[in-house]
Amino acid sequence: MLTRRRFLGYSALTPAMMVYRPLLSAAPAKAARDSSLPTVKIAVLGNTFQLGSSLQTITDRFLVGYPWEGDWHVPNIQVVSMYIEPKPAPEVGPAYGPGRVAPHSTERDVLSEGRANEFNFRICRNIPEALRCGGDHLAVDAVLSIVEQGNYPLNHKGQILYPRYDYFQQCVQVFETDGRAVPYFNHDSLSFSFQEAKSMVSTAERLNFPLMAGSSLPVTWRIPDIDIPFGAQIEEAVMVGVGGMDHADFNALEALQCMMERRKGGETGVKSVQLLEGDDVWAAGDSGRWSKELLSSAQSRSDALQGLTIMDGRPQNLVASGVLPQLVRDPAAYCLEYNDGTRATLLMLNGADADFTFAARVTGHGKIATQFFRGPKPNVSYSAGLASKIEQMYTTRKAPYPIQRTLLTSGMLEACLTSRLRENRKIETPHLEVRYQAPAESLYART
Amino acid sequence: MAQSATTGKRPRIAVLGNIYRTHLHTQHIIDRILEGYDFGAEFRKPALNVVSIYVEQRGEGDLVPERAKRHNIRICDSVDEALTFGGNKLVVDGVIYIGEQGNYPKNELGLIPYPRYQFFQKVVATFTRTGQVVPYYTDKHFSWKWEWAREMYDTARKMGFPIMGGSSLPVTWRIPQVEMPLNAPVKEAMCVAFGGVDSYDIHAIETVQCMVERRKGGETGVEWLQAYKGDNFWKAHQEEVWSQAAFKAALCRSHTLAPIRDGYTDVYPTFDQMKAFVKDPLAYHYRYKDGTRGTIMLLNGLVEDFNFSAQIAGEQKPFSCMMYLSRGRELATLESYFDPLAYYIEQFMITGKEQYPVDRVLLANGILCAGLDSLRQGEKRLQTPQLDIHYQPGQSTLRRT
Repeated sequence: MLTRRRFLGYSALTPAMMVYRPLLSAAPAKAARDSSLPTVKIAVLGNTFQLGSSLQTITDRFLVGYPWEGDWHVPNIQVVSMYIEPKPAPEVGPAYGPGRVAPHSTERDVLSEGRANEFNFRICRNIPEALRCGGDHLAVDAVLSIVEQGNYPLNHKGQILYPRYDYFQQCVQVFETDGRAVPYFNHDSLSFSFQEAKSMVSTAERLNFPLMAGSSLPVTWRIPDIDIPFGAQIEEAVMVGVGGMDHADFNALEALQCMMERRKGGETGVKSVQLLEGDDVWAAGDSGRWSKELLSSAQSRSDALQGLTIMDGRPQNLVASGVLPQLVRDPAAYCLEYNDGTRATLLMLNGADADFTFAARVTGHGKIATQFFRGPKPNVSYSAGLASKIEQMYTTRKAPYPIQRTLLTSGMLEACLTSRLRENRKIETPHLEVRYQAPAESLYART
Repeated sequence: MAQSATTGKRPRIAVLGNIYRTHLHTQHIIDRILEGYDFGAEFRKPALNVVSIYVEQRGEGDLVPERAKRHNIRICDSVDEALTFGGNKLVVDGVIYIGEQGNYPKNELGLIPYPRYQFFQKVVATFTRTGQVVPYYTDKHFSWKWEWAREMYDTARKMGFPIMGGSSLPVTWRIPQVEMPLNAPVKEAMCVAFGGVDSYDIHAIETVQCMVERRKGGETGVEWLQAYKGDNFWKAHQEEVWSQAAFKAALCRSHTLAPIRDGYTDVYPTFDQMKAFVKDPLAYHYRYKDGTRGTIMLLNGLVEDFNFSAQIAGEQKPFSCMMYLSRGRELATLESYFDPLAYYIEQFMITGKEQYPVDRVLLANGILCAGLDSLRQGEKRLQTPQLDIHYQPGQSTLRRT
């Protein structure tokens, strides 16, 4: 389908819009890099370059370096071009729901000019120009695509129509035209649509370029430093998350998935999903659909319980005290059943918690519970963990973990939102038979 | 003197405190004893019965009545009453005293003289009167005054009751979750931290100490100490009085490095930027008897966490980690770094055994007092024969679960 948004995106390709920024004079390198290694030249694509945005916190890792393994690591990566999507005109039209558009900020690009001057890269008016650096052929070794926030309409499932697929397709068009394809990182979910996400993955396979996606939760520090023993049998798992629907839930589902994929037999895909809301969430806990014991374990790892803790600092077992129904605003349970029969549930507990935690009962290992650590602002140390994995893909041309994780997670989220649309009914998901084998090595920040 | 029997029953505990209000140490520790805490992926309810409480400063915001009512605790008017209910025998199997915070005027040395020694003296008086002793936990270091600290340690040893104290830093989570290898040939160790004098400096000292005591040969005591502040600090830094490599490693473990450049969120600072950001730098730099060096720094404005690093002979790269305090994260409500401390206090009360070397607490106390002395004497290098304290490390208390 060609939406108006998508049409505007493609129309940026017209020659009349290709206004080149004059090349800047060469400036001295700002940070010491290892000159014995070849420099990886990257194009950065996105829509929000302001302080604290993912694009800023991740791109800066490649510009000024980042703390890694007890040192300040400056990657052999050079940002050579950048495309920041101009602020779109306000959307007109239904967008399924009266006047519903995603939250937006008015100043979406406040940093690109200053960074371009300091680090001597080209600001481009469209994606092909960024990939070709103003020339006729692909002139970068890798692509970083970070599309978040912005004025995009919501669809009937409440999904923000981020044009991540469109960005990807524009790059693929250049790859195919120029006969060369380079590693591509897509921040966060691949697409709101599983079909689009799947097509991205198969395109990358067809053109034989490494594709990596996702958020930082799977690779951030964990408190404690603990992983599902590779190949162990997970009896059941509970993930706790907070934040908005079709945003934070993706991050939480991906964190859950990076644990689940290590289970015995490897990933088999998801058989069915059901998104429960309101009192149905608690009823499902009472009936054993999700484990209260595991929720208690997950929350024992939280440093951000709400309720009486806010009032007087006391530690609490919110499950045992039975106060969750009073505390949680708009509770939601994302119930997943995998093809091998394993069950996992994401509980979004806004109002009762503010951390992302996980607990699983693992045969022979008891309960395994941890917090996915989101370091404080503004440093957001988790983005250094992600940058390190992106860097690894750029320099080795091999994604450290399979894109299928993000693909399946994108599909799980879409299916859960479909369940919500269908009055929270359980829906079968034969299309989510995404099978893959996770790497045996634990790949989160731990050194 | 005989210790009260603790076997087979939940130990009965007397709680003593300066002040018990939200987000103060008493709340953090005693609430964990009363309500429970995270340990081993469970919300653990300690097997202790708090039976009495005496808190010196009550009034507005006091949590004593609410906690006492809900947990059936006798509110007492004195230390002696908390230990005996007014009788001639101890009615408790252990005493937990939280002598941190509260409104006490600064003394002539500019320090807040928390009455830890005075509480200890009162407890000892009751022990003497009843002819019984029980395990005694005193939060943080023993006393702001070295002679008193030493006397408290010696008294406990002489009267034969186990004593524990210390900071939560040695037992909290570490990021990454690493332990100093036993018998490592440590050349130099450092903690880059933040906070105030006679307040957070002790946490940094204990951070260094819990790692350094594991070095080859064990703890040998401290030979001399020198404090540095202001321009002297920067001069010493440039002259490499301490290792710049270790310093950089520590800073690179911080999750709160100040956003030193406008428009950026995480950059490594230049020397001039650090100088501009840190208004009042402070270091205690000391040499152990075996030649190992220790340094703790309070660099307010640059970091808001506790970052450890060490140079180990034969290792190219410094060993480094952050000691995790949930505090400082904008969303955190729980000071979960007290969880393991609550666990060790619980185990101490149940077994009557000191859970990690109390000599560490004593030596750290002495380093702190020497640091304060050096500051008072114009940052003079002071010989520290009083810190001839030898001990071997116990079991690793690195938190793993």
